[in-house]
Amino acid sequence: MPAPGAIKTLIADDQQSMRSLIRTSLNALGITQTREAADGEDALRALLAQPANLVITDFNMPKLDGLGLLRAIRAHGPISKTAVIMLTGRADRELVQRAVQFGVNNYLVKPFTTQILKEKIEAVFGPLE
Amino acid sequence: MDPFESIKATFFQECEELLTDMESGLLAMEQGDDDSETINAVFRAVHSVKGGAGAFGLEELIRFAHVFETVLDEMRSGRLHLTDEVAKVLLRASDVLADHVAAARSGGGVDEGRTVGMIADLQALIDQDRAAELGLHDDNASAPADEDFGFVPIVLSLDEPASDAPEVDVAALMAAASDPEPATNPTWVVTFRPKADMYAKANEAALVLRELSRLGEIEVSLDASAVPPLDQLSAEQAYLCWTIRLAGDRSEADIREAFEFVEDDCELSVVRDGEAADASAPDLAIDDDSDASASAVEAAAAAPLDLDALLARVQPPSEAAPADAAPPSPEPAKTAPAETNAPDPAKLDVAGLIALAEKASQDHAQAAPPAAPKVDVKTEARASAGAPTAATPTIRVDLDRVDRLINAVGELVIQQAMLSQRVFESGLARSSDVALGLEDLELLTREIQDSVMAIRAQPVKSVFQRMPRLVREVADLVGKKVRLVMDGENTEVDKTVIERLSDPITHMLRNAIDHGLETPEEREAGGKGVEGTVRLAALHRGGRIVIEVQDDGRGINRPRVRGIAVTKGLIAEDAVLSDDEIDNLIFLPGFSTADVVSDISGRGVGMDVVKRSIQALGGRISITSEPGKGSKFSMSLPLTLAVLDGMVVSAADQTLVAPLSNIVESLTPRAEDVHLIGGRDAVICIRDTFVPLIDVGVALGFRDTPLPPASGVAVLVESEGGGKAALLVEAIQGQRQVVIKSLEANYQHIHGVAAATILGDGRVALILDVDALVTTSRRKAPRIEKRMAG
Repeated sequence: MPAPGAIKTLIADDQQSMRSLIRTSLNALGITQTREAADGEDALRALLAQPANLVITDFNMPKLDGLGLLRAIRAHGPISKTAVIMLTGRADRELVQRAVQFGVNNYLVKPFTTQILKEKIEAVFGPLE
Repeated sequence: MDPFESIKATFFQECEELLTDMESGLLAMEQGDDDSETINAVFRAVHSVKGGAGAFGLEELIRFAHVFETVLDEMRSGRLHLTDEVAKVLLRASDVLADHVAAARSGGGVDEGRTVGMIADLQALIDQDRAAELGLHDDNASAPADEDFGFVPIVLSLDEPASDAPEVDVAALMAAASDPEPATNPTWVVTFRPKADMYAKANEAALVLRELSRLGEIEVSLDASAVPPLDQLSAEQAYLCWTIRLAGDRSEADIREAFEFVEDDCELSVVRDGEAADASAPDLAIDDDSDASASAVEAAAAAPLDLDALLARVQPPSEAAPADAAPPSPEPAKTAPAETNAPDPAKLDVAGLIALAEKASQDHAQAAPPAAPKVDVKTEARASAGAPTAATPTIRVDLDRVDRLINAVGELVIQQAMLSQRVFESGLARSSDVALGLEDLELLTREIQDSVMAIRAQPVKSVFQRMPRLVREVADLVGKKVRLVMDGENTEVDKTVIERLSDPITHMLRNAIDHGLETPEEREAGGKGVEGTVRLAALHRGGRIVIEVQDDGRGINRPRVRGIAVTKGLIAEDAVLSDDEIDNLIFLPGFSTADVVSDISGRGVGMDVVKRSIQALGGRISITSEPGKGSKFSMSLPLTLAVLDGMVVSAADQTLVAPLSNIVESLTPRAEDVHLIGGRDAVICIRDTFVPLIDVGVALGFRDTPLPPASGVAVLVESEGGGKAALLVEAIQGQRQVVIKSLEANYQHIHGVAAATILGDGRVALILDVDALVTTSRRKAPRIEKRMAG
């Protein structure tokens, strides 16, 4: 049972409002160690500088999209075991399949509730304390 | 504010930027730009608007954005091609989307009819069968919230040792692998080179191979070339290497699982067929040196943060990366040529890593059915060459905070000036340490001031971006064909100025389309292209920003303008006016050339109002025109409303500031050059031209008797309308940058005074409103001056 406070999380989304919403939800779950990145490249740099346990990333982002970020994370030894939850704007089967092939841990369809987010995280890490 | 509400407010701010991005993309597309990056950017903007709308439950917005997004997605995937007609529909759709966003923001409604019509137009772009397939006609537009694709989350333990292979949920990968979509099953090539330790731990290569054979048919070949002659052979050394080929319908994790107990004691590489297997640096070795008991995060954190070192370690796997997990493409051979373009591994850096990842995404695009015809060389080049263009990180700051900072710096500038003055008054030598220190302080203060002002500076783009829509709508309304060309969108100006640019520009553009341009028929008859051109440009000139609106229309009809001005009593019938002066008559209050007050320009707002609003910003507007060729309006504005370059003068024992931008020259009047008209109003002859001489002390009511002209200084100023006058003051003290303090906010408006400032000695000085002074003097004696000028 992981303590939510111990889960270091990086939120990658090009929209500030989305990042704030995700952060608010995460905080409500007790996940308070959050950082934010505005695109995939930004996120990758942030991870290289300081790793995280969990990356919640949007799919559609400029420069490097969520899939690319996932790819880069998995290809990069030191951070390759970071859990990645992909956010998608719609339930796109093809997209989810690609993400699965790249080793995504879970996915989350917008709009989501805090409860759904919790379930998605718990499906990866086990029940939160 | 409720956190949710404040996030929503952020969302609407983002929407503005997204809509702007969308429109500039669409405008590029209208010009024929069908680059996939452009289309993607537009799609992303609409998609983001929709995503946010979903989060905030803005149903109407979601519904429209969904249809719009779907059409863009069709373009993105190459099913819908860009034509003039398509671009026009998309542009109109962008206007409707903007309306929806505005409505959602204000809580107001939208034009339901227009929305329905627009949705129909968008749907018409898509093949009917395809539309049905996409569910475009469904009322339930937003996709189901969550769909189970047989997806099984991959479980990860928070404190999982870094050196272990991830506990990948095999079922999930199986589900993915057995999915009907992957077309082929490329062969895995496993290179397995046991180390001596493996045998020492009583592991057996044969057992591993047998384990592997359970995954499917395998083809094993042994490389025994490393085995030395018998006399040199050590029984405890390992010399053998196996290469195993395995049908590819297994995941890499499955294969690695077979090596679970030996992977620390062997060199192992698992790659798809056709890739360079680099057995000398198998990726599992990477984790060898990390502390097995540390959590993944700690292990990663412990790894050197030096990027080069990190990347050097990860190079071989990342080199193999693009294809090893890349989607199984229908024809593996097809991806091969791309690989030859892969960046030189020796030069890999973050950019390289990203490029590789982008390539993977690109492969994704390629794999999509009817792949976009040009999965382009362009993107490729950009990915490998241009990656280091990392955007400067930005933060959002409340304007209030910046304003407070700017105010504080304003006070600092004043305080610093006061301090300097006190110190010099105290008789300290200019070369003293204190004086030199103060000089440094002054430089520093200036620098801080400039930097702070730069924070608030923004490109005029935000205003310009709204104009294409305006031009489209006005052009439609008056039945003219108009092409809008914009230049200098990145010209920066203070935010306070930007906010007030919109109205004058809007009006000038309307005016240019409505009055400036001819109808298509007239243009054709006049031998011009049917489509008129309106050019909107911004540029920096002489410490000011100049906005130009130029049309290639009919130009000012001078005889008519003159006639109207005479009829309306604005000028004398016998007035002799230059072409320029006639053109500028249109800025006079009460002047309107429209035969019929049209819906567009004639909203009771004439050019005089435009002129006044620009003057209120400390700006000037002028027009140049050539009959039959077109007209050009230029307005010039200060870059900021917070500071002003001024000439400090004294009049009637008061210290006053005249804006430097108005000043043409200063001179000492000779008594014989000054003439009194009607016994009271003075004019001065400067190089054979008569201009009114205004005694500032009297004009502002500081004293009743005018100063004898010869004992003062005349400052020749020019107003926005080009009218000149000489301001008579007692002395000029010097030139100085002053911080503008609003008089209205602190006291009340005074005619002839634009604002106030605080000087170095702590006294308040009034900033002269030159235009008001000149206009007043001219109104008093319009005829006289003209007669003399003529």
